[in-house]
Amino acid sequence: MAWLSRPLRARATGSLLWPWLCAASVALSLLMLATLLTLLATRGLGHFWPAELEEVTLHSGDTVIGQPVREAPLPNAAGVERLYFTGNRDIGGESWRWVALDDIDTVAVPDDLIRLERAPWGDFIGRLDEVESAGQRFEDEAAWAFVAHAMTLPESQRPIAQLRLTAANGQIITQPLEGITRFQAPNAMSWEQKVVAWSERIWQFLSEGPRAANTGGGVWPAIFGTVLMVILMSVIVTPFGVLAAIYLNEIAHQNRLTRLVRIGVRNLAGVPSIVYGVFGLGVFVYGIGGSIDSWFFEDALPSPTFGTGGLLWASLTLALLTLPVVIVATEEGLARIPDAQREGAVALGATRLEMLTRVVLPMATPAMLTGVILAVARAAGEVAPLMLVGVAKLAPQMPVDGEFPYLHLERKFMHLGYHLFDTAFHGEDVQAAIPLVFATALLLVLIVLVLNLTAIFLRHYLRRQRGNEC
Amino acid sequence: MLALSSANPTQAPVTRFSAETCCLSINQFHLAYAGKTALRDLTLDVPRHRVTAFIGPSGCGKSTLLRAINRLHDLNESVTHHGQIQLEDQDIHAPQMNVTELRRRVGMVFQTPNPFPMSIYENVAFGLRLQGRLPKRKRDDIIEWALTSAALWDEVKDRLHRSAWQLSGGQQQRLVIARTLAVQPDVLLLDEPASALDPISTLKIEELIRNLKSQLTLVLVTHNMQQAARVSDYTAFLQQGELVEYGPTDQVFTNPRLQRTENYITGRMT
Amino acid sequence: MTPPRLPFSRQPLRLIHDRIATGLITAGGVGVLLAILAIGVFLVWEALPLLTFGDALSLNTLSPLAWGTLKAALAAMLFATPIALGAAMYSALFMSKRLRSRVKPILELMEAIPGVVVGFIAGLLLAPWVEQQLASTLLVLVWLPLSAGLAGGLWYLASARVRQWLPLSWAGVRLMPWLAIMVTLALWLAPLMEQAWFGGDLRRMLDQQYGLDYATRNALIVGIAMGFAVIPSISSLAEDALADVPANLREGAQALGASRWQALRKVALPTAGPGVFSAVMIGAGRAVGETMIVLMASGNTALFSASPFEGLRSLSASIAIELPEASPGGMTYHLLIFAALALFIFTFLVNTLAEVVRQRLRQRYQRLGGNR
Repeated sequence: MAWLSRPLRARATGSLLWPWLCAASVALSLLMLATLLTLLATRGLGHFWPAELEEVTLHSGDTVIGQPVREAPLPNAAGVERLYFTGNRDIGGESWRWVALDDIDTVAVPDDLIRLERAPWGDFIGRLDEVESAGQRFEDEAAWAFVAHAMTLPESQRPIAQLRLTAANGQIITQPLEGITRFQAPNAMSWEQKVVAWSERIWQFLSEGPRAANTGGGVWPAIFGTVLMVILMSVIVTPFGVLAAIYLNEIAHQNRLTRLVRIGVRNLAGVPSIVYGVFGLGVFVYGIGGSIDSWFFEDALPSPTFGTGGLLWASLTLALLTLPVVIVATEEGLARIPDAQREGAVALGATRLEMLTRVVLPMATPAMLTGVILAVARAAGEVAPLMLVGVAKLAPQMPVDGEFPYLHLERKFMHLGYHLFDTAFHGEDVQAAIPLVFATALLLVLIVLVLNLTAIFLRHYLRRQRGNEC
Repeated sequence: MLALSSANPTQAPVTRFSAETCCLSINQFHLAYAGKTALRDLTLDVPRHRVTAFIGPSGCGKSTLLRAINRLHDLNESVTHHGQIQLEDQDIHAPQMNVTELRRRVGMVFQTPNPFPMSIYENVAFGLRLQGRLPKRKRDDIIEWALTSAALWDEVKDRLHRSAWQLSGGQQQRLVIARTLAVQPDVLLLDEPASALDPISTLKIEELIRNLKSQLTLVLVTHNMQQAARVSDYTAFLQQGELVEYGPTDQVFTNPRLQRTENYITGRMT
Repeated sequence: MTPPRLPFSRQPLRLIHDRIATGLITAGGVGVLLAILAIGVFLVWEALPLLTFGDALSLNTLSPLAWGTLKAALAAMLFATPIALGAAMYSALFMSKRLRSRVKPILELMEAIPGVVVGFIAGLLLAPWVEQQLASTLLVLVWLPLSAGLAGGLWYLASARVRQWLPLSWAGVRLMPWLAIMVTLALWLAPLMEQAWFGGDLRRMLDQQYGLDYATRNALIVGIAMGFAVIPSISSLAEDALADVPANLREGAQALGASRWQALRKVALPTAGPGVFSAVMIGAGRAVGETMIVLMASGNTALFSASPFEGLRSLSASIAIELPEASPGGMTYHLLIFAALALFIFTFLVNTLAEVVRQRLRQRYQRLGGNR
């Protein structure tokens, strides 16, 4: 910009460059958020779409059948290679295969390729030859019809049958029907069929337990555990948070001490969640839980009942963690109510309790709700403290069942966030689990975002209501 | 009817009424906020079924006195006081005095209308519900009576269950008065009730005040001299927490005994 | 017209109810507040036995973790502070009101995204990608601010009609496609530049010439991921401080002929400075305590290294990994509790300081001419 005179140049950089940089910061933040959400949505939901299977013939004469996943440059040479998910862990040992594009002779998408999801070995990808059931043999169309019909029946009513399958390398295996959880021929499916299959799989993801070391199946126990823990937490945190806020704002003498306490409470909202986890482990689990064990569950010792992480301790820890959120939100709501309302009630002869319950608390309800929702949103996404006080990678029993006392507060439970962490970082076949991890992450983010949006709308409503009053 | 017990022209006059006409009796009342004196040795009697106006410059303590009569200062720990306020010969600060009952008997209306965020009906029923259960018929009767007394019934009878916040400012203030009347107080304290209202609403409130004195005793705080002259029977002039002059409104406005009072009334206050 | 007398039956009960309720609320409130404050007491109490071990060496095991914590926080702040403050200044002073009312909730949503999700994306997606495309990443980091400046320059040279069509007050959103295009361009250009300047492989060159190791999960990744997580909290706090600067001050400056930017720099920024500072501190407090992102994106190697390309291990991540295994009463247990105490004290101090600064600021604004 040498052609600009100096003062003009200074002015140009000042009033142009910096504001645009600032604007770009906003744009960048939004862009990052959008990218993250799009990534989660496409990868999370895309996994359930019945992807086309390719039959690739290489120059070497080998055949690879699988689902193309992604492409990357070759590590030590020019060119690109493609990753195929080939399944069939029981045959080749590997369920992934990199194929250099230069090696490929032909790529075909034949309709008769099938994909099975099976209990012990994960996915099978290949062809269906024939089905044998009760001494009868079905081939080709009849075999297809047989399996397709059998899969529509409930599991207990399926006939006993053996499937003869051919893998890509020509090896033939026999697979009993009972181990199969899904039967698909994605290449032969119409668009509508794919949509139906897609929604079915999403439903399965939401309603079933994990299978095959978290690489298949769903996250229902984790959803259940998260929701149950959050409900317990809000049952604890709401009354206590509201009580503390009422005490601070309506009853305590407003002096230096209350101001200090208020700052302290506010700051606790900024204390790292892991610190609360440490507190929960030391006080709830080892302290209180240990004592309960030595008093009431002595015969079970040394294996701990309450003296180890569990649902109750997790809920309590998160309740403590979210108390400041509820207290601060409620207090803000209370402080916003004009004193004229309180005096109006008192001047009519109301006691303090009557003033609180009939005038002040009804007016502060939206603020309290906002606080509780924000607390729930925070608790639903919090993982670190749970790792210390009771989350499990695979809980053998649900915390609620038909056995007395029905709600088992001492049991470990599964949690969406921890499930995500564990599958992504400690799984056996991380590569295969990643799509499900994406789906889990999407679910978690959706839950948290919906809760937050509710809180935002509530607050908006609150402000509008206040606007009417003025 | 007026029996002056002191006629010293330089001192603040102590104005007393004979027992049967005196409703509120304030005796050497002293009040301080966190050590700062707000009311100093105040002594005056408020006559029954009359409108008494407290006038004076901002910060003279007139609102403080009003709030003290309702014991609203109980909510604030930094307030200290001594001296007596008697309502019908009962000391309102006496330990056996039930403060909620006192506040029922002494209604208060504030500067800005403060209806609760409920329906019009519920606003008026609020004080009644505090007193205990009433058959619905009887409650409806009292509410109609209170709204009629506050000259609001005709305007709201078709929308009793709508939100009170939808009413205009003047209507809200009359609703607040109706709400107070519903619990049948003996005294109604009005703290600048019309200062936030437009002239027409103000006139309506003033007319209401004049009509209400057949039912109860009214005490009005105002900074509007014409208003005090228009509606009140007696006027007390306060300055810096002290009572300067107290007497029948005509006398205070047309023939004040003290120069200070005259200066204020004629606008020559410095 | 006089209504029937009222019954006054409930009087004594009402007062008793009120007493009981007040007592209960007081007890509950004080109890809750004490329970919250008990956290500090517990941590101190459980960390005290460390003194009896009398082993100075034990603290040495914490020092690389403390270093890792600081390094991660520093990296995050380096990434987040400029973006967050830029965003705060823009949305407080330049953005159109309508846009602001929409962008603010979106930034709140960004704050709400769970750390475990951000950490997963960073550790499993971003880290391997950056490892392969290190040059592109670095180029993008440099290129982004330049391209924003370029946009400003182009806008300045554009005709009045274009300027009216693309006002600065909407640039926060309109720049998004521009930035996306610029990132794509940078990604396309990066391999060529790497070929030309770094001999085709930046990582190998860093290793051979400067002896810098490259770990897949490293401080750079942690910085970006955790920066992403703290941007919204810094920016919303800083924005509040800036937007609350009494309007008459800024308008006064502008009436004297200052441009909007000058008014911002000479008046709003100095006035709101403490508030902006406290926003940054609160962000730093969050970055120091964040667990899941560091756990998933840092590699968890306890190293003393200043290189942004090497892994680290933070206090919080160590607590999360090791504490469930540590036997209560053992030295590791007490040591980890001491680590938690350190985190607690640090964040508590930082937040208190920030809060005090903010309260002072609020008082100053009230003195300076009140509300917005």
